[in-house]
Amino acid sequence: MLLEIKGVHFGYQQEAPILQGFNMHVARGEFLALLGPSGCGKSTLLNLAAGLLMPLDGSVKFNGSYLHGINNNVGYMTQGDTLLPWNTVAKNILLPLELRGTPAQERSDKLERALKLVNLGDARNKFPSELSGGMKRRALLARSLIYDPPMLLMDEPFGALDAQLRETMHKELLSTVNRLNESVLFVTHDIAESILLSDRVLVLGGRPLRILEETICPWGKERNLDEIRKSPDYAKLEAHVRGLLRLADAEQYADAPKGDA
Amino acid sequence: MKTNEPPVKDEPEHLAKAPVRKSRNRIRVENLAWQIAIGIIFLSIWEYASERWISALLVSKPSRIAQTMWEWSIDGTYVKNIWVTLKATIMGFGGGAIGGMILGYITATFRRVGEVLEPYVTALYTLPRLALAPLFLMWFGLGMEFRVMFAATIVFFLVYYNTYFGVREVSNELLAAVRIMGANRAQLAVRVVIPSALVWVTAGLKISVPYALVGVVVAEMLASDEGVGFLLAKSASQFSTYGSFAAIAALLVMALLTDWLLETITRRALRWKTAGSASQEQQH
Repeated sequence: MLLEIKGVHFGYQQEAPILQGFNMHVARGEFLALLGPSGCGKSTLLNLAAGLLMPLDGSVKFNGSYLHGINNNVGYMTQGDTLLPWNTVAKNILLPLELRGTPAQERSDKLERALKLVNLGDARNKFPSELSGGMKRRALLARSLIYDPPMLLMDEPFGALDAQLRETMHKELLSTVNRLNESVLFVTHDIAESILLSDRVLVLGGRPLRILEETICPWGKERNLDEIRKSPDYAKLEAHVRGLLRLADAEQYADAPKGDA
Repeated sequence: MKTNEPPVKDEPEHLAKAPVRKSRNRIRVENLAWQIAIGIIFLSIWEYASERWISALLVSKPSRIAQTMWEWSIDGTYVKNIWVTLKATIMGFGGGAIGGMILGYITATFRRVGEVLEPYVTALYTLPRLALAPLFLMWFGLGMEFRVMFAATIVFFLVYYNTYFGVREVSNELLAAVRIMGANRAQLAVRVVIPSALVWVTAGLKISVPYALVGVVVAEMLASDEGVGFLLAKSASQFSTYGSFAAIAALLVMALLTDWLLETITRRALRWKTAGSASQEQQH
């Protein structure tokens, strides 16, 4: 297992616990999607995996070692814009390599590859304030991938993109993570996105958070997203997951403290 | 057959009626023309009114002031005194700004240090700086040190508070993202905290420059035998209105030049902040 979350308790003072004895894992090279209603605790799981939050009880293991601080072996793409506004696109993408002391030639080669991957070659000298929302997401993706972390943590990374660009990014992401055999822990609201991209979907809900169902997506690594969309299996799976998500939504609403809805 | 659709206009006529947006450059030139015109009108009225409507002893007249300025430029009065004031301003500004930045960074980064020092900093900040003048005079005498220290104490607090809030305001999300990439504490400071705080720090520095000049001039007026402040105080004590205005003109030029210089440096350092809006403006 690359990531193992075991018996984790987490919550904030004077609030109902978010996690209570929660278990999940991500295998090497696996693409796992976490699907659930807003505010259910999906991002908390990502923050635990990144070492930004520490469990009150239980353990988080990454690559066989217990996490006691920041996890430098993951790439983290959050919902927010975490590009450094004073650096150009190229400088932003290069940042992880510079921090790790990667040699100049290797940095330059990787930058070219990353810019090509996200189609930002022409914007390399622009500042984030000059980019559209979609371009910013692409720059963030390039920055998360450039140092080849064994695992990518992605928190609704393509929510701001238009449909066409999102499809392109889906294909690029799949081909990149497959090529590098990277694991991905992917948080999304989008049912189609979760089914198309992942090997496994965990439908989450309730408070404390629990796994309502684990769904296997039987498309294999070398998948053709356009073909999958046309298949009856996809339609069936999508309808099934949609039903589960409705249930999760209803539970979330029922579990919310009075006056919180 | 009649329809409700509006009649289709010919394109040239349609375009002729479209509102025309003035270019940025044209607006700048127009503004400059207005500024020059206002200055000329003001000086003309002043020249005319002096001795006719108001006593020349009180307001002098632009032509007499210009004559004094010319004389002081030729005989070296300006060069000698402006240089003294400028040197003290630069030293006071530099010392106060560096001290303010260092202490601001430390108190914002190490919260406990900030909490312990907070009442002392607040007490010193609220103390009227003029109250320190007699003490400084005793300690440093009439020389350069008095002026520099007086200006530095004014600049220090302005830069201190801006640095403090700048460092405290750094986005936690940015810090977390860069820490995950592998940044250590020093790298976080250089890559995230300092550039992020720079917006606040430069604002503090920009505000401080005129205050540094004010500090030096006040110190020169209080106790000094050289500098533009001394020139101003001496002219006023001799009822030389034109001398006072000539000294004020030198201060105006110095203030405008330093402001322009700082504005240029600030714009360059923070060009990332305006890059997006600049490109949008060009697109219009």
